[in-house]
Amino acid sequence: MPVSARGPLDRRRFLAASAGVALATAALPGCAASVDSGSGSGGGGKTLTVMTLVDEWDAKTKRSIEKMLDVTLRIITYDVTKLNAMLASKNPPDVVRGIGATDAPYFAARGLMTDLDPYFAKSEVLKVSDLASANDVWRFDGEKQGTGPRYGLAKDYSQDSMFWYRTDMFEEAGLELPSDTEPLSMDEWLDLGERLTRRRLGKVKVYGLNATGMGVFSQLMWMTASAGGSVFADDMASVDFSSPEALKAIQWYARYAKADIGPSLLNPNPDGWDGPTYQASRMAMSCSGFWFGGVIAAEPKLTEVSRFAPAPQLGGHRVSPCFGGTGFWMPKDAQNKEAAWKLFEWYFAGQPAKDRAAAGWGLPSLDSLRASMPKENAFQKQAYAVQEQEAAYFSVLPVSPYAQTDALNGVLSKVLPDAIRSGTKPGKIADALNSRMNEQLARGKELVG
Amino acid sequence: MVLARRKVVYLLLIAALVLLLSPFGWLLITAFKAPSELRAVPIHWWPHHPSLDNFSQALTLFDYLGYARNSLTIAGLYSVLITLASAWAGYGFARLQAPGKRFVFGLMLATMMTPQIITLIPTYLLFAKVGLVNTYIPWILWGLCGAPYLIFLFRQFFTNMPKEMEEAAVLDGCGQIRIFWRIFLPQSWPVIATGLILSFSWSWGDYISPALLLDDDRTTLSVKIATGYVNEHGSGLFTLVAAGSVMYIVPVLALFLVLQRGFITSTATSGLK
Repeated sequence: MPVSARGPLDRRRFLAASAGVALATAALPGCAASVDSGSGSGGGGKTLTVMTLVDEWDAKTKRSIEKMLDVTLRIITYDVTKLNAMLASKNPPDVVRGIGATDAPYFAARGLMTDLDPYFAKSEVLKVSDLASANDVWRFDGEKQGTGPRYGLAKDYSQDSMFWYRTDMFEEAGLELPSDTEPLSMDEWLDLGERLTRRRLGKVKVYGLNATGMGVFSQLMWMTASAGGSVFADDMASVDFSSPEALKAIQWYARYAKADIGPSLLNPNPDGWDGPTYQASRMAMSCSGFWFGGVIAAEPKLTEVSRFAPAPQLGGHRVSPCFGGTGFWMPKDAQNKEAAWKLFEWYFAGQPAKDRAAAGWGLPSLDSLRASMPKENAFQKQAYAVQEQEAAYFSVLPVSPYAQTDALNGVLSKVLPDAIRSGTKPGKIADALNSRMNEQLARGKELVG
Repeated sequence: MVLARRKVVYLLLIAALVLLLSPFGWLLITAFKAPSELRAVPIHWWPHHPSLDNFSQALTLFDYLGYARNSLTIAGLYSVLITLASAWAGYGFARLQAPGKRFVFGLMLATMMTPQIITLIPTYLLFAKVGLVNTYIPWILWGLCGAPYLIFLFRQFFTNMPKEMEEAAVLDGCGQIRIFWRIFLPQSWPVIATGLILSFSWSWGDYISPALLLDDDRTTLSVKIATGYVNEHGSGLFTLVAAGSVMYIVPVLALFLVLQRGFITSTATSGLK
């Protein structure tokens, strides 16, 4: 095959072309496409990086934040892998969205969070005395959650073991409505769930009860506490599911899952969460806190038939915890903490906080905003009254700083389905959970020191 | 007897086809449904009022075409660069002699066993240190490094090309670069097509790398579709996700349709010999 010695590409030309490609690629960041998200046009020289939900603020709000704080706002969509990578590179965002009840001990114990107490001390806007007690889920004293320095703030919260129910379904089943003031026992709750479940051809058509709104681990922690025990040891470095109280909680959950009256680890909800199922009249009782009222309020028909009830109890200790407390925190290595705190003041005490309180998607994190909660129609008035009574029973149920709650839920997902299906005795289930979870906690403790 | 056996084979093939296509079919049907039909009981197997609303909303809820442009830029750059770089490396392994070549080739193939997730955080730290986060440079660098699987494919293809072609080119005064560029590369069209299809579809569908390295305004469609179709309370808008996903698979499908002949030839002929 003859090839021309003076072909279009000799070595020199090839190298020149390669250099051209290299130059072009080096110039690419300058012309990299950027989709207009409404940010990046800010006034100040400093950039405030916020890792939060993708649509936390619209373009207009972003611009007003930039003007107000004299910064350029950089929004990063929340992603836990990215957050860990940024924390590891010592170049984290200035503000991060997080779930106080589960994130605070984990990150604080690793020295990754900024102590906000000095900021509260000098703030004219955010006062510790005005904070709702649920903000304590963001506190960590070095060993335990609930006391010590504050590392974040909840934008709103709920007492997540309370439940919403459909009065029309109760009436249809000829059942008495739950009390607004006295909590049901867990057995009564389960019995109601069984009576309210509707099946067709052996398949559940209407769930009687979803008892695990915020995850099974939280559910077991809460039930154990209401029976007078604790899943975690005092030093938070181990779990003990073999105590009588925890065994009672496991037993109850096994009965609930086996009864197939609602979403469980054996049969998860295809919708992913209760909102669409409840709206579609396919759930009679949903274990969800006050925030779920926002879902209900969106459908006028639902507001007529939905009511709120106190958290049921497994034993004699009335406990009504918060498993969320979603809000913001500042990483310790954040570059722009003063601007971040200004954002806190605006977001947690300014107009956004007032709007959230009035919308009814959760309880306001400032007591002074409680008066703004919605109380216009019968449904809202009833929910408000029930909520006001329940507030007295709030307490922080501390989680361990040595393992993330998601990881512990992962163990439950592995152990419980087979164990419940096969009818394994609660004692054996407890042993399996203790062994696997304590292994994880020990590894975490080794890392934290 | 033969006819009956053939019928059984066809029936099995049709069943397998239905099984494989059913998720795509369901996605397509969902894209035409109203949100209220999504969880209807009994199930709506077919939309009662098929509508294109989901598609128009999917295009406008966020700047769909803008993010598609980002995806196209990244996937286009990455697939062209990685295919060329792999061809070049495959040529080296197939036709050039060097001490330790076999060992290096084995070592390179062994890296295929390393899951991407393991190197992800260290890679992020590296790029963060040199200021390449939130740029498209990492995809260019990854592209220039080649991919072990594609290098292997090119190496197999080039190994099977007759030595006489190379000798004739040498007699005509060609150096190695021109032999590769003018003789071997044009002959390897089926492998190039395979490389382009595989690398483009991988990069087009990659979620974790852009999620980790790019900010929201520079990220790709795969990340945006996964996170962007939510209402003001953060709840998923699943009919829009379905419509967005249907449009999302169009470019990969088009690329495959254009290059499928080369892809099939390559996978049929690039086996070990």
